[in-house]
Amino acid sequence: MPNDILSILNEAGGLNAKVFSLVRLKLLASLAALGPDGATYRELKAALDINDGVLFANLNVLKEMGYLVSGKITSEGKELELYTITPEGQDEWKRTRTWLCRFLNCGA
Amino acid sequence: MEENTNLAVPVPQLRCMNMEKRKKVIAFFGELGFHFNIGAFDDRLIAQKLVCLLELKGIHLGYPCSLYVRGPYSPDLTLDLYAFTREFETLQTSSRLNPAEKEAAGELGRIFGLKPVLLEVGATYGYYAIRQECDPLEALRQVKRLKPFYSEAQIALGISKAKEFLFQPSKKDRENLKKETGIWQRASLQSLEH
Repeated sequence: MPNDILSILNEAGGLNAKVFSLVRLKLLASLAALGPDGATYRELKAALDINDGVLFANLNVLKEMGYLVSGKITSEGKELELYTITPEGQDEWKRTRTWLCRFLNCGA
Repeated sequence: MEENTNLAVPVPQLRCMNMEKRKKVIAFFGELGFHFNIGAFDDRLIAQKLVCLLELKGIHLGYPCSLYVRGPYSPDLTLDLYAFTREFETLQTSSRLNPAEKEAAGELGRIFGLKPVLLEVGATYGYYAIRQECDPLEALRQVKRLKPFYSEAQIALGISKAKEFLFQPSKKDRENLKKETGIWQRASLQSLEH
């Protein structure tokens, strides 16, 4: 397996560049850990400390890319928006994380 | 080619251990009268927080919790809830709770009453206070930061429930409380004499 920096950088060609923003990485990492359970909008907002405009826009981008789905749920009588990662989202996050690990080990 | 016999043994053992821990959780659900429904968001939340509170109480269920965007949470439990839904929903188990576990389940049910908000606040507070060894004020601050969508009253009630369930007062605590409240007790007894 190649472990020189140039090879590792070139492997990034297989990744989706649109995932590489701090907010999107935070969202994918958070939701990947929860699997089919997902998290509500208000939980993501509070835990990740992201303002409404940025959070909503980035959740929508990830949805458009097919990495997340959303739906209404009811909790204690309140209607909330639940976001869940899709299998495509899990795959993309796995690829991204693997590449980042290789990249950082190489750079260290 | 030489056969590697070491590889053959751990797999069934691991599967057996996984099954045992799942069966124990189902026994707790049964004892608590919790009829789990995978399609209900609140039920999945209740399942997570019950397990987390029991683990914080020192009952080892094999589903350790860590902090996620949803507060203290066990991804392993989620995997099992989805993989063995029927067993959880129909409370299929061969596992029995010992007297200490039954007592813990009874206390948990009596104090929290399967209420999602109280369980969520209580588990979050307990996690910060016990696992992260935060002092009470810091643990409260963290709960408010992570769960700002709950009212002050809900947070206060959830924390008081967590304290009741998770923290047994020590002899020193009892003595301090006696000292603190003794003056009021004596005053009220004196007022009764008049």
